[in-house]
Amino acid sequence: MADIRIENLTKRFDSFVAVDDVSLTIEDQEFVVLLGPSGCGKTTLLRSIAGLGMADEGRICIGERDVTYLPPRDRKISMVFQSYAIFPHMKVYDNVAFGLKMNKFDTKEIDKRVREAAELLHIEDMLDRYPSKMSGGQRQRVAVARAIAMRSEVLLMDEPLSNLDALLRLEMRAELKRLLQEIKTTTLYVTHDQIEALSMGDRIAVMKDGKIQQYDKPDAVYDLPANHFVGGFIGNPPMNFMQGQVQRQDGRVKVRIGDFDLTPSDEMQPVLKSYEGKPILIGIRAENMETLATSAGDALQVEVLVVEPLGSQNLLTIKIGENLVKVATHPTFRVKPKSHVWLRFPAEKIRWVDRDSGRVMYPSV
Amino acid sequence: MKANARTQGRRKLNWTPYLLILPSLIYLALFFGWPMVQGLILAVREEDVFLTLHVEAQQNSPVAGQLSRGTQVSILERQGNLIPPNELGETNLITEVWFQIRGTDEAGEEIQGWVPETRIRVRESDADGAPIVGSIRTRIGSDDPFTQIRDEPNAEAEMVGRFEAGASVEILDQAILEVWYLIRAEADGQMVEGWAPSRYIQVFGDVTQGRIDRGDTGQFTTKYIQRMVNDRFFMPALRTTLLIIVLVIPIQFVLAIIMALVIQADLKGSGLFLYIFSIAIGVSDLAVGILWYSIFTQFGYLNSILQGLGLIDAPITYLSANTRHWIIIAVCLAEVWRATALVMVIVVAGMQAISREVLEAAEVFGATLWQRVRYIILPLLRPSLQVALILRTILAFQVFAVVIVLGGGDIVTVLANETYRQYYDLRNFNVAAAYAIFILVLSMISALFYLRAVRTQEETIE
Amino acid sequence: MTNANGTPSKVVQVSPEVQAIHRRLKRNQQMTRAFTYLVGILISLWVLIPILFIASMALTTPAEVRSYPKSILPFTPLSTYTLSFFLGSRGIIPGIRNSIVVAVITLVLSIVISAPAGYALSRFVFRGKDVFRLSILAVRAFPIVVLSIPLAVVFLRTGIYDSLFSLALMHTALALPTTILVLSSVFSSIPYELEEAALVFGCSPVQAFRHVVLPLVLPGIAASAIFTFVLSWNEVFAATILTIQNRTLPAQVLVTLNQSSEPYQFAGGFFMMIPALIFIFFIRRYLFNMWGQVTK
Repeated sequence: MADIRIENLTKRFDSFVAVDDVSLTIEDQEFVVLLGPSGCGKTTLLRSIAGLGMADEGRICIGERDVTYLPPRDRKISMVFQSYAIFPHMKVYDNVAFGLKMNKFDTKEIDKRVREAAELLHIEDMLDRYPSKMSGGQRQRVAVARAIAMRSEVLLMDEPLSNLDALLRLEMRAELKRLLQEIKTTTLYVTHDQIEALSMGDRIAVMKDGKIQQYDKPDAVYDLPANHFVGGFIGNPPMNFMQGQVQRQDGRVKVRIGDFDLTPSDEMQPVLKSYEGKPILIGIRAENMETLATSAGDALQVEVLVVEPLGSQNLLTIKIGENLVKVATHPTFRVKPKSHVWLRFPAEKIRWVDRDSGRVMYPSV
Repeated sequence: MKANARTQGRRKLNWTPYLLILPSLIYLALFFGWPMVQGLILAVREEDVFLTLHVEAQQNSPVAGQLSRGTQVSILERQGNLIPPNELGETNLITEVWFQIRGTDEAGEEIQGWVPETRIRVRESDADGAPIVGSIRTRIGSDDPFTQIRDEPNAEAEMVGRFEAGASVEILDQAILEVWYLIRAEADGQMVEGWAPSRYIQVFGDVTQGRIDRGDTGQFTTKYIQRMVNDRFFMPALRTTLLIIVLVIPIQFVLAIIMALVIQADLKGSGLFLYIFSIAIGVSDLAVGILWYSIFTQFGYLNSILQGLGLIDAPITYLSANTRHWIIIAVCLAEVWRATALVMVIVVAGMQAISREVLEAAEVFGATLWQRVRYIILPLLRPSLQVALILRTILAFQVFAVVIVLGGGDIVTVLANETYRQYYDLRNFNVAAAYAIFILVLSMISALFYLRAVRTQEETIE
Repeated sequence: MTNANGTPSKVVQVSPEVQAIHRRLKRNQQMTRAFTYLVGILISLWVLIPILFIASMALTTPAEVRSYPKSILPFTPLSTYTLSFFLGSRGIIPGIRNSIVVAVITLVLSIVISAPAGYALSRFVFRGKDVFRLSILAVRAFPIVVLSIPLAVVFLRTGIYDSLFSLALMHTALALPTTILVLSSVFSSIPYELEEAALVFGCSPVQAFRHVVLPLVLPGIAASAIFTFVLSWNEVFAATILTIQNRTLPAQVLVTLNQSSEPYQFAGGFFMMIPALIFIFFIRRYLFNMWGQVTK
């Protein structure tokens, strides 16, 4: 049993708080992604779990053991570093075998595990080579092989794909996911690429400014963001946010954007009642708006400013009131700049954001 | 290292880099290549061993044979030979002067030609002292009353006329000739005979015997090397030099690695440590010698401290002929003090090249501090250590001023010191060169040794 | 949909074992730091105390220099007599002057010759580059002894013996390899794109060098020049061999060593050390470029 429990972890560098009172639990054999922009504290958090940089406050428990003050080698973890950290003076075989050697496994076992790991990563015929004679992608495989040869209960990965070129990154993403599904370890994976996070994780922990903004399954993080930041960080293009004014009309809450009125769903009515007369932020994803070529009663007429034909979709840039909004349509939807389209906003797809706290409000269950 | 190269799309050769490195290439060839060759020659070649004898009394006549320096010779004939004015300063030169004269012979013809100066009595000289008028001298003890005038200033030249004694002549010009001798001697059981310039021959009183004073050609010899090896200071110098090297270098390397680790620990104030540790790089070895002399001299600091602590009653003499081992210790201390910074700088540079993440990876995968040092740090430091070893050893073979200050130059001596002594005190340039070449050979051997022994190839964990 | 997936169901107290581990870890860290400081301070003392001794001797009275046992307190009594006695001794002021002249000539010559070579090594790829680089590395370690004797003999024969200029030529030869390597790495640290930008905006290659590269490499060149100066100032062997009437300071001190008094010697040693103490402070950052990088 190797779940990871982080309790109230804080790490400072002089006066800068990199990780701010973070509590997190990663279940046994779960694949959790730490996602966030640079400087959000995700790498610091990962390194604290690894033991590279002692936490200032809080606890880290792996399985039954409290490892907060243990040096890295006593924590029984494996790690893949962002720069791979392959030992340049050793052959691939010895690199992969390193951890096993340090932990005093016997030679036959080492050989067996090294070859298994090499096969899994498709580097079996490179075992005799030196890292300087290998490409970046190959070195990355060596780093992963080294980590999985250990068969540790916990695997930490610090942006392992970010140094690869785009095509390779795509390939390796799928390969890594497949590989990690086979070997059953508890994995914590750090990245700033939200597509990687969505594609690979069982759960995603979104971080900003040293705090966890949301910790949930990918579809929840995508569809039901906890706050403005998460909504805007996840998704490509990011979630659109528009300014609106909450009003009351005929006993129902309506929100006015420019000249247009949005009607919140029935479940949201009670939540938004307290915002009457106040401004509010409305969030909706580009692909969640319905685009019509002709007018309809409940649809808003808008002018198209820019059309980006992306192949799999057309991305329209549209101005609504003061807001610039991106709308995704089917690639066959013909539209030209400076022409008009009509937009419909399905109520259940609208996300309502409190302007002061940034929190997204959901109907109380 | 990324190459900041100018792309050479054209086939044509870009001369710019070659032009840029040309001055340094010339300088390096001139001041390294050439002196090394010269030094080698000085050490193994003895000049002026043989004298070349010619068939005729001329430089460009064929060679008749060779005699070695010091051979006793019989002198058979003499003849004058023109000599370039710039060689007039050569030692041992015996010259004769010929006058070019003009006058009327008995037959009333005007004759112009050359005659040895001994045949003319000078009657008048011009303002500079050059003779302009003279008369033919009487020939003493000879049957022929006439003096022969020749076409050229050469006793074998064609005669153009004769003057009788007392005839008045104008002196037009003079020529200075070097005397050449026809000599004969026995060499290797054979008689050798030929002409040679007088400058190489020392003539005994009656000009029938002589001795070859010096030669004009050299030969390769091991004589200087032998002299060096047999010199009574050679073995002590070699032994002392090797002893110093063997004692000092390991200590320096351990100390340098410790210093590098202190700096790498990057504590507050490591900048200050860096400066202090590096001070010794800029200090002259003479100053370092004096520094440690002030400690080890009889009234110096070591004794003062020991006496102040009550450990001794009277000053101990450390730097005397009876206490050679103390001098060696003092020299070793001084060398460690002086040169460790150099090694440290190289080691630090090498350590900084080891990426932090590599060390962290080692830590994560289970390596203790000692295992990290042994499997990661030391192997990756190998290239730097190799460079440092080679440089330091070669420099150690040249240790000089420190030994002179502490050892007086003769109580304890080292190879560089002997080189200096042979050159400066004994004026044996060749033996000094032999010492220098010996130091070079030792340096090259140790460099090769290090290159092989401290292999920079990546290695597998045993 | 809220923050972290919460507080664990079992609230674990910090066990005494963990507390013990924590305490031990902190203690180890502090001990390591203290130990490192201790080692650093010990080594610093090892370096500084002899300097203190000699400085103390140089800055006190001759009587104190000859006294025994020497007092523990340094610089008592403080006096410039010894130093001025040394400076006033025969041959010292000329020696200092000669040392400076030689060092300056060496400095200028070596920079002028090395800078183009360093630039070529850093910017160009050309046939023979590796050979050139290797020969510089090889020549750097060349024993000065081997050079001095033949050169002395040659200088004697050609009549430029005992001239400051010939000694400066010798010192330049010594300084060249190191200077070339340092300058080449200094040049390499300036991205070539800067020169390319200058070329695009209308400069000739020489102008590009002058306006863009030169200002950026001046600190490195200055450091190299200083190092060469110190090298020449300190050099003893060749100076003693190659100069008789026009001795440099180290040569003068060495040659009179047997006859000179202790105050003279100590003052001399201290005086010779002063440039080092000052200059090494300024160029300590550049020291690493000078000896390193056999590996690229």
